[in-house]
Amino acid sequence: MQVFLQTLVGGLSLGAVYALVALGFALVYRTMGLVNFAHADVLMIGAYVASTFTMSEHLPFAVAVVAAMVITGLIGLVIERMLRPLEGKDFDLMLIGTIGFGIVLEALATLIWGATGRAVPSPVDTPPLHLLGASIPTYDLVVVGVAIVAMIALTLFLERTRRGIAMQAVAMDYDAASAAGINVGRSNAIAFSIGAGLAALAGALVGPLLYVSPSMGGSIGIDGFAAAILGGFGSIPGAVIGGVVIGLLSSFSAGHFHGYSDLVTFLVFAVLVMIRPTGLFGERTVSRA
Amino acid sequence: MSLLNHRLARPGAYTVLLVIAWFVPYSVGSYEMHILDTALVYAVLAVGQGLVMGIAGQINLAQVAFLGVGAYTTAILTTHNHLGFWAAAVLAVLASALIGLIVGLPALRVQSHYLGIVTLGLSLAFLNWVTNASIAGSGSGIPGIPVPPLGSVDLSSDYLYYYLELVVFTLGLAFGLFVVRTRLGRRLRAMRDDSLAAGSLGASIPVLRMTSFLLAGVYGGVAGVLYAGLIRFVAPETFSTSNMFLLLAMVVIGGRQSLWGCVVGALVLSIVQNELTDLSTYSQLGYGSVVVLMVVFLPTGLAGVPSQLLRLRRHSTGGTSLTLGQFQPYDAAATTSAGEGVLLDLDGVTMRFKGLTALDQVSLTVHEGEIRGIVGPNGSGKTTLFNVISGLYHASGGTVRFGGTRIVGMRPNRLAHLGMARTFQNLRLFRNLTVREHLLTALDRTPTRWAWRYVLWPFGVQHGEKFLRAEAEQLLDRFGLAPFADAIPYSLPYGIQRRVELARAMSAHPRLLLLDEPAAGLNGAEKAQLAEIVGSIRDSGTTVVIIEHDMSLVMSLCGRVTVLAAGQVIADGLPTEVAANPQVIEAYLGRAAQNTPTVEDEPAALGSEEHA
Repeated sequence: MQVFLQTLVGGLSLGAVYALVALGFALVYRTMGLVNFAHADVLMIGAYVASTFTMSEHLPFAVAVVAAMVITGLIGLVIERMLRPLEGKDFDLMLIGTIGFGIVLEALATLIWGATGRAVPSPVDTPPLHLLGASIPTYDLVVVGVAIVAMIALTLFLERTRRGIAMQAVAMDYDAASAAGINVGRSNAIAFSIGAGLAALAGALVGPLLYVSPSMGGSIGIDGFAAAILGGFGSIPGAVIGGVVIGLLSSFSAGHFHGYSDLVTFLVFAVLVMIRPTGLFGERTVSRA
Repeated sequence: MSLLNHRLARPGAYTVLLVIAWFVPYSVGSYEMHILDTALVYAVLAVGQGLVMGIAGQINLAQVAFLGVGAYTTAILTTHNHLGFWAAAVLAVLASALIGLIVGLPALRVQSHYLGIVTLGLSLAFLNWVTNASIAGSGSGIPGIPVPPLGSVDLSSDYLYYYLELVVFTLGLAFGLFVVRTRLGRRLRAMRDDSLAAGSLGASIPVLRMTSFLLAGVYGGVAGVLYAGLIRFVAPETFSTSNMFLLLAMVVIGGRQSLWGCVVGALVLSIVQNELTDLSTYSQLGYGSVVVLMVVFLPTGLAGVPSQLLRLRRHSTGGTSLTLGQFQPYDAAATTSAGEGVLLDLDGVTMRFKGLTALDQVSLTVHEGEIRGIVGPNGSGKTTLFNVISGLYHASGGTVRFGGTRIVGMRPNRLAHLGMARTFQNLRLFRNLTVREHLLTALDRTPTRWAWRYVLWPFGVQHGEKFLRAEAEQLLDRFGLAPFADAIPYSLPYGIQRRVELARAMSAHPRLLLLDEPAAGLNGAEKAQLAEIVGSIRDSGTTVVIIEHDMSLVMSLCGRVTVLAAGQVIADGLPTEVAANPQVIEAYLGRAAQNTPTVEDEPAALGSEEHA
């Protein structure tokens, strides 16, 4: 029971992070029909920036996180601007382009912060809570709380603001939206930078849970993508549910399969995609390709 | 004369390249030799990646894992099972071919981005296994792979190993180029550009996708064996995601759609990367940036530069003339089968998309030798009807018989082999194939699994190619397309593109030809030519079903006309009968118009629909 409860909470906090990654993927995919392969590297940059601000500059964690989100948001804008000539034309080339950006970001991180990586101390130093005999790190609860707030904020933005509604319109019908006078390019740019900001938030949150290194993005990126697919790509609530499911799956499979948990997770993911390419919880797929 | 020059130029250039490659070791130091040996391994690997991604259009991000399967299998079998190197090598290539097929399985269900991420995930799964399994050295790698024995040749020397690699690489590249330039490669490229149209021409898309992953696996395995024999030590880092992206950069920078481009990219980037070992992060930064710039400004890579320069030069000299040649009518069939047998028979066909009923109990009989018109307002289900007949959609209810065979549920490629061909409303031509290649692809009627001959009897493939080319020349002449044989259709005027699509559909001389708005976008003269061509096609023994909005064309061409409205057949009969049918007029013009029509207005009113 203790072990189960601890694994459960660990899985939930990891799931909250995956949900944020999945949201970033989904937001960009909804508006542009593009899977951003640099997403995981943007996450890694976010983790480094946030941890640098807290560890070297001794800024409060919250300030560091916001700074990381702003910086990666700008990176998102640059990526979108560079690849804009390809928008709506060649999705495979855009995909390769985002991989190119991923390579660049990884190289930049290695040049700035070195190749070895760093362990990030937990920003919360209150003692763990004790519940039914299990000890639950307070930081795990912080992660879940921050993720929930971010998701609510994103939903309100998309549903309640003019800009958010315009972005939804672009997602539904590119041509009609641009005929209605919506600046599609700007809408895409905003989607891309919000997606990058979400990745940075996920990176900043996951830093103290894992180990921050230039290549940390790889498996988090794919897990986050798996979460997005599981939730029916492009659906926001689906991405959240998918994130939690993948988080629990990898948390429990780490308990059962130890070193082989990645192997199991990726094989399950591949089989899942083959059985239900449209996801388990949604049929909504935007396909403009 | 220039043809003769061209014929001699190619083998000449190959010979020069081989001679240079042969004498390279005489002028380089031992360190450079080792770098060059490594570069050749990547060149073999890149040919495989070029085939699967550039030629077949499958986003495969597991190619470096195939290299790993080849290398690790060789290592485990030689050190753990004490097998001889060459026996281990054969098994290693088989293993990575098998893994290639397994990794390719998701391609049957998903494409593009999804496929990219799934293959990347599977390659991470492989990496996870080799870093944990004790048989694979638990992450610290496997040392002590024996030197490959080869008679009295000492292959522990990097200089001599180079020649072994050179032979393997040359064979691998030659086979790759052979595939690309013959029927399998044309089909793969057609599938890459438009899998729907390729399927409608008779290619089995699942078989093609698996074939491309099989090829990728084999090339990866061969490269892996060469790697194991060269380095004689394997460790997980070599097969990491960043090396996969390096390989991707090689292929994109060199030009993914050209195998030569892939090879050049691999050699250059591999040498640069190894020369700059101390500055490898900077070189990573460099090639990452180059990839971004390439996709935006030079998507065809370095390999695309010569043809772009050529196009610029041709542009400045005025270019070629852009008028279609004369159509040469077909010989009339010996016996006119008009009105005899039933060729196509639809009975109560219904097609539902979730809540929407696009076709509702459609019944329709087309006799052999007929030209049948299908008309109806926009959204009445005409194209859906074609999609059901040609196998793109699986009807929700009812039966379709083609020449007496029930065909509901058959894939488009099966139907193509049964003698059905179609064109598409919005032209589905292959973006990167020339006009001649379009016809060569369509002329190829062999089943896709025929590709095994590439391995067992390549001379047969080469021989068959001659016949295909002769047929293609005839077809080019017949449809007046000879002047544009080597042009990319999308660079040609719209009327010519329509003609190319028609010629492509007629390549296999089908029993039934489905034309979806063939006159859309054509000018008056072109429409007259179209009427003449369709007439000749019918006279040659092909039955034609035509969807068209231009009523004067329908009236003059079709023996019978079927009218669809809101997914139902509302009229069926001779053109004049149909045009006078009050229900038809109502469907086109709404109820209000029914009260005021005069007989003379009807055809004109229907004719105006073409611009709706």
